[in-house]
Amino acid sequence: MPIWRLKYLPKTLDEIWGRKSLISRLKDFIEKKNLPHLLFIGSEGIGKTTIAKLFAKEFLNSYFNANFKLIYADIPLTQEERSLAKSEAYISTSKIGSMAGRKITTPAFIQVKVKPFVQLKVIGDIPFKILVVKNFEALGSNQQGFRRLMEIYGSNCRMILITTKISGIIDPIVSRCQLFLIPQIDFNSFNKLFLKISSNENVEIEKDVIKTLYKITDGRISKAIDLVQICDKSDGIINLNTLFESLKKFKIEEIEKLILASFKGDFIKARNLFRNILSIYKYNINDFFQKILEVINKLPLSKYAKIKLINLIAEADFRALDGRDVDIQISSLISKISIFGENM
Amino acid sequence: MNEKDKFKIPWVEKYRPKSIKEMAIPSAKVKGQKVNLAEELIEFIKIFFNDIEKINRFNQEIRVFNRNAQEKEQKKEKNLPQEKAAVLLEGQPGIGKTSIVYAIANDLNMEVIETNASDTRTRDTLEAKLKESSKSKGIMDFISESKKKLILIDEIDGIYGTKDRGAVPTILELIKSTQFPIIMCANEYKTSLQSLYNAIPRYEVNPLSKSEILKIINKIIEREQIESISQEDLELIMGKNEGDLRGLINDLQALSQITDENPIERNKIILSLHRDTTKEIFGIIRDLFQTVNTLNEARDLTNKSDVDYNFLYKWINENLPSFIQNKNDLTNAFENLAIADQIFGRINKNMQWSLLPYFYDLFAGGVALPGIENRSKGFKTVSFPRYSSSTSYSFNISEKSLIQKIQAKYPLSEIEVFRDFIPFLRIFISISRRNLKIVSDWLELDAKEKKLLK
Repeated sequence: MPIWRLKYLPKTLDEIWGRKSLISRLKDFIEKKNLPHLLFIGSEGIGKTTIAKLFAKEFLNSYFNANFKLIYADIPLTQEERSLAKSEAYISTSKIGSMAGRKITTPAFIQVKVKPFVQLKVIGDIPFKILVVKNFEALGSNQQGFRRLMEIYGSNCRMILITTKISGIIDPIVSRCQLFLIPQIDFNSFNKLFLKISSNENVEIEKDVIKTLYKITDGRISKAIDLVQICDKSDGIINLNTLFESLKKFKIEEIEKLILASFKGDFIKARNLFRNILSIYKYNINDFFQKILEVINKLPLSKYAKIKLINLIAEADFRALDGRDVDIQISSLISKISIFGENM
Repeated sequence: MNEKDKFKIPWVEKYRPKSIKEMAIPSAKVKGQKVNLAEELIEFIKIFFNDIEKINRFNQEIRVFNRNAQEKEQKKEKNLPQEKAAVLLEGQPGIGKTSIVYAIANDLNMEVIETNASDTRTRDTLEAKLKESSKSKGIMDFISESKKKLILIDEIDGIYGTKDRGAVPTILELIKSTQFPIIMCANEYKTSLQSLYNAIPRYEVNPLSKSEILKIINKIIEREQIESISQEDLELIMGKNEGDLRGLINDLQALSQITDENPIERNKIILSLHRDTTKEIFGIIRDLFQTVNTLNEARDLTNKSDVDYNFLYKWINENLPSFIQNKNDLTNAFENLAIADQIFGRINKNMQWSLLPYFYDLFAGGVALPGIENRSKGFKTVSFPRYSSSTSYSFNISEKSLIQKIQAKYPLSEIEVFRDFIPFLRIFISISRRNLKIVSDWLELDAKEKKLLK
């Protein structure tokens, strides 16, 4: 396994670094062979999905493959899946009431991705199957369809919902789940992990480096391991200098180039740059603006200038929410930045 | 026919060939091989009726058998294979796709049931129109020996997502159960119709050659006794239409009604005979940025054109920076275009059509007028809006296979692979050649996939 982050990916619940109390709570469920619907909350890259998966694996044991499904709420349906969804159904006319004979529509997402799995009976000697929904908040209004599913098929399938923003989840869903705040890995465990890596891979990692790593990655283990792996190890030692060298490599230079080109007023170049960035990194529009914000925060600009730029980006992001063509909104932003750059 | 009536019937209808004998048959290709389109279609129809008869007889026997058999022993009825039930003709507008179908139907004494883009083709309407006629014979058919039917689904690429919801599956179903041969026509390749394209044979129809077109045009000129058209005029409209015979005939008819003697005026009129082509868009874009002086002119320009504004404003977006170079003007123009886009989005989302007037003025006038003072008069190339913002979420073939190879080793979603893991791999590989080898051995990459990581 050449990639370290995969090599040190935990394979069982016990191997998960830190977070002891959380793991023991989860193990309780496994022992009792019962669990409620769960809601995992925690910041990005912290290991929520890994924990959910490992938990499901140990809970379902040898029946894991047939009874587990992981879906991403933020990935739109493909054309094929969309055509699969029968978007129209009728309420039986035999039912008396104002709804009789009316059309009802089930959201395509739930129809295609969720329903077939939760409706299917459990296979094997386990109480129920497990469905993990990642980035649940991205479901938006489809969450309403989910709450009934959780009740109707709850006995057949338990769900683990994963989110970074609990504010994006509607109350009825939250009330149906047991909440789990997934904490950051604590520094001690983080330290231990990197000492282990250091001895396994035959590189010395200085204590400062581990401390700094913990700080700059916010305890995101995979990111920290990535950083260490690309460090220059020819000396057999990783110090702060080599760490900063490798940190530089992670910068997305194109975004800096994009901002520079916009400041200079080279519109055509800037436009080609952002189109390139979007197609290489597959950012959605909001992520893209976030990246620009990050870079602008680090630029040596006056407070006034930064606020002005943030104002412009916010405006563009806001409009892109409504608009049809992202390209236009970004182009407009670039042209505004170029004017701003001229007046500075 | 008196002088007035002469112009009443469109010549396109008047001179639509009644038989393939009097028609210039466009050449066609299927799977890269040149074929005679008329022969192929006639062959297709004959084979169809032959096969469907056999299958019907077979199914009848099965039905008789099933009536007496136990549920377990019941046999399934057969269907005609899809590729024998329908064909697709693909080619640019006005080269005779529809005409050849009508001519053949006429020759074979068949009745054509047509649906085209002017009909809304939702599931319900398509079913109502086609399914019944495709399945069963009408009551009248039992009384008199009826004409056989031919189903023509014209302008199939005009089927749009939301408006014609469910049309494609309905057509596919129709193909399975039809009792009559189906011919479909399309202008361009569309990914939303992919499932259809896969199921049935596809004929690429080429435009007629210049000499053939000239023959037809001369015949019409002779019959209509047009004297006012010079050879230059003819060249001009022929060049403009590029093999679009229908457009050419329409132009010819329009031209024959012009009595203006001034040659420059005539040319202007000829060139203003609009048709929905890329060339027209080129003209609109140039006019918008280089000649329009008032809001009304801008409004007129966009109103008159047949080009879908959904489409046009993407062209404007693409070409704005090359026509407006002053930074301030550019910013103002983009500001207006951005608001127009936002409004358009709201209209689409919430059906607030009352906002449409703002959209109209902002995306055309709002874009053209800010740069009016610093306008450059020179010739500018108009570029095609190749970039579409929706492509950012789709993957090409080598990207897809790369993702799948990574996912086999490391279970992440497609987007996570792209945003999180591939950037790391790129950096990792850039460090040394050895790393490249390690990664490509680990994931078993081919050259194209390796290139993606560089």
